Amino acid sequence: MSKLFRFRVLTTAMYGFVIVYSLFVLLPMLWMVFAAFKTKREIFIDPLGMPDSLTFVAFGRSWAIGLGAFLFNSAVVTVLSVLLIVLVSGMAAYVLARSDYPWMRWVYLLVVVCFAVPVHSVLVPLFQMISAAGMLNNRLAIALPYAAYGIPFTTVLLYAFFLDFPRELEDAARLDNCNRLQTFLRVILPLSGPALASASIFQAVFIWNEFLLALLMLTRPALKTVPVGIFELTSEFTSDWPAVMAGLSIAIMPIVFIFFFAQKYFVRSLAGLGK
Amino acid sequence: MPSLVIDRVTKHYGGFRAIEDVSLSVERGEFIVMVGPSGCGKSTLLRVIAGLEAITAGKVTINDRDVTALEPADRGVAMVFQNYALYPHMNVAQNMGFGLKMSGRPRAEVEAAVRRAAEILRITDYLAKRPKELSGGQKQRVAIGRAITRAPEVFLFDEPLSNLDAALRSQMRVELSRLHKELHATMVYVTHDQTEAMTMADRIVVLNAGVIEQIGSPLDLYNRPGNLFVAGFLGSPRMNFFRARVETVADGAIEVAPVGLHERIRLPLRGGSVAAGAEVMLGVRPEAFQEEAPNGIQVTATVKVVESLGRETLLYADAGTFATTASESQEGYIAVHRASQQAVAYGATIRLAIDPRDIFVFDPKGPTLRYPERQLAAD
Amino acid sequence: MTVRQEAIATPSALPSAHAKPVPPRRRAATPLRLYMLMLSPALVLFGVFILVPVVLTFIGSFFTFGLTSPTWSFAGLDNYLRAFGDPVFRLALRNNLIIVFGSIVTQIGFGTLLAAILDRGIRRGSTVFRTLIFAPMVISAVAVGLIWLMIFDPNIGPLNKIIIEIGLRPPTLGWLGDPNLAIWMFLVVAAWQYTGFMMVLVLAGLQGVPTEMYQAAALDGARGVRAFWYITLPNIRNILIVAVLITSVGAFKVFDLIYVTTRGGPANATEVLGTYIYLQAFNLGNMGYADAIAVFLLIIAAVLGWLQLKYSRRA
Repeated sequence: MSKLFRFRVLTTAMYGFVIVYSLFVLLPMLWMVFAAFKTKREIFIDPLGMPDSLTFVAFGRSWAIGLGAFLFNSAVVTVLSVLLIVLVSGMAAYVLARSDYPWMRWVYLLVVVCFAVPVHSVLVPLFQMISAAGMLNNRLAIALPYAAYGIPFTTVLLYAFFLDFPRELEDAARLDNCNRLQTFLRVILPLSGPALASASIFQAVFIWNEFLLALLMLTRPALKTVPVGIFELTSEFTSDWPAVMAGLSIAIMPIVFIFFFAQKYFVRSLAGLGK
Repeated sequence: MPSLVIDRVTKHYGGFRAIEDVSLSVERGEFIVMVGPSGCGKSTLLRVIAGLEAITAGKVTINDRDVTALEPADRGVAMVFQNYALYPHMNVAQNMGFGLKMSGRPRAEVEAAVRRAAEILRITDYLAKRPKELSGGQKQRVAIGRAITRAPEVFLFDEPLSNLDAALRSQMRVELSRLHKELHATMVYVTHDQTEAMTMADRIVVLNAGVIEQIGSPLDLYNRPGNLFVAGFLGSPRMNFFRARVETVADGAIEVAPVGLHERIRLPLRGGSVAAGAEVMLGVRPEAFQEEAPNGIQVTATVKVVESLGRETLLYADAGTFATTASESQEGYIAVHRASQQAVAYGATIRLAIDPRDIFVFDPKGPTLRYPERQLAAD
Repeated sequence: MTVRQEAIATPSALPSAHAKPVPPRRRAATPLRLYMLMLSPALVLFGVFILVPVVLTFIGSFFTFGLTSPTWSFAGLDNYLRAFGDPVFRLALRNNLIIVFGSIVTQIGFGTLLAAILDRGIRRGSTVFRTLIFAPMVISAVAVGLIWLMIFDPNIGPLNKIIIEIGLRPPTLGWLGDPNLAIWMFLVVAAWQYTGFMMVLVLAGLQGVPTEMYQAAALDGARGVRAFWYITLPNIRNILIVAVLITSVGAFKVFDLIYVTTRGGPANATEVLGTYIYLQAFNLGNMGYADAIAVFLLIIAAVLGWLQLKYSRRA
């Protein structure tokens, strides 16, 4: 009896903890959405309450300053960088996993070294190099560094995947008259889907949210990405919190949308950090 | 004309000698089984035939074509892998037809070949399924079917049954033997399972440390193993080995003193030479122990383990100082095979009689010095 | 049987793959050149955007130069000596360390607790909870900063409102305006965003512990908390080490959140290495000095990153 009682108390306590923590996570997001639907007056009078009516006026105000363009710019940069990362990392990881040359260990070590370098610590030369190359305000000025800094982790991730990839399938493909390219395209690639999806989504989220380089390299309003764009909402709309929160809601939506659909892959990639 | 010739093939990985100067000729329609302990080079040799491994020296010929420098797909071989290696993203029919498709064959021809192979293996019902939906035995059939579809000149099997459970394994053994007879195909089969080797092979190739120890028919190798290694490798339980010293050599016969026994045994040799005082190894098959042997040696032993298999019984007995070396049991017990059910229990004392005519004699580092004078199977 | 034999016939009777009229190809030579070709894009990107900038950062740290000035003047160790005497640098470092240790305690502590509960404690709704708690991880730090800027706002922020409702007095200078308070508020925000990440990481480790091990432990008399202590923790030890390292690197690299909320203010009180490098380089034009601080950050990150890969391969 007392054992059952203790079990019930423990279970209730665990549910209680998880629910309280979930509310802590959920409330700020709800406040953001609520604030977006409020008027400037409403938010001042009643910060905690629900909005009185579903008015999209604030959304209109923040869309008007070019959110659409920011979203487009972010999408272009993200797609470009992720394609580059997956392609380049995939090739490098395959070579690392398949070749027996002893010096490949040094290449792997190089990847690891590059993984450890934070972009924050090379801002000055990076800015000066891009500037000297006349590439400021060029999307490649961020897309290429994003790729460079995304490749090490993706390579390590795909390297582990290729190590586990059954070599016999590649042998079978050779016996089935596939050359190296055909083996890659018809056997390896179709079976790498989940691994590539994991790597892509992880990098896509990271790149979509990147702020520092985008702030430094792209100063022309027409090129700005979402994080920089929404940051500037605050100076654009001093004390117009509904407009800022409406802008945030719009900006966050695509990534949250992708997250809910591709959660499995995202989590797998993150969990790969610990493997 | 031999279907497959391996001519002085050598394969080194850096400093490691995986295969050393191996030669082998396989007749058309022959079923060759390569056996040996793990790491002996048998799988490497198979992969060399397939063209999956480049060789350091030597030549591989298939039906008089030198294929040493050819891509695997151009050699006219098909291979069945241990883990099946079916393409998970293709259905069974696509798996089976992939090789012909990649060779640019018209679709109708590919389909016909797949259907024929599927009929032979009775897997027409699964042609639309993915490998994931198949059981282990079904996957194995598909893997074999894939090989048949390509109508190769030589079939290669790399331990194809080792992932199957015991019942399925013996079923597939029968199936493979049937296929071999039906297709009149040349097959090279690698396994570490001596039952598979004994039951299916026309000839067995015993490999050890990258070299061929002996080639011959299953019974040939069982009855006349060329050396200590082959004698110990084929047969389950293993042959019992006893250390002995040569006392005298005279008239083509030797007199040996087994370690742990007072008796001396006189054994006529058949070829080979040995000097007095040399160490030799005596070999006795588990089934050679009798209850009585008028001219032989008698020992009493205590039963330590009884394995009743129904139609036969295996006993492991402790004969004290007369102990086996390098045998199945690490404790030096003598393995005894009785072809009937036995009413013995742990601790019982049994009499073991050895007829001198049943004794093998081996030079520990060289060839067999003497085979038994009679084959028990013929008795 | 006979029919089948005719169907398959002997190998030579059937057209087979090798018999086609095209000449057989030679084996491909060693694929070294192909491998180098496949590696080169990665190596080029590493070289241009990571290795060369790293070297230039080191070199730059021994010079004095401005954002646009073409002249570099050699400064020897001046930039490093300056850092050791600079109270703001020390403050930034102290703030980073507070965030590092605070994040380890909050994010990994709560993350492990949540993971343990979701793994074996509760059944119903665990997927929903996991998804929800993890969700802030995908939101950009800029957006997170702005949301919390609103929450902390003295005028329209829900936090002040709640504090007043329950009869307490909110801080006079504001949650982020009070130098002694602001850094702790960042810990709350960072925990809000990253605890879910730690939870997922630990959860992956927990799910890797075979059920049989818990059954064996139960037979040995270890259940509940004791099973967690003797079975679970030793099994996820390496994952926890990796979690600590990831959190540390992340906390040393923190920039976005602070830049969008306080910009390091008030009066440099919330400055961290990331924002201070940016301030010195791009607002004050002391590029050489910024490089010296960057070298400091680089060394910390390199050591932590190296440890991370070392332990993650064993996990």
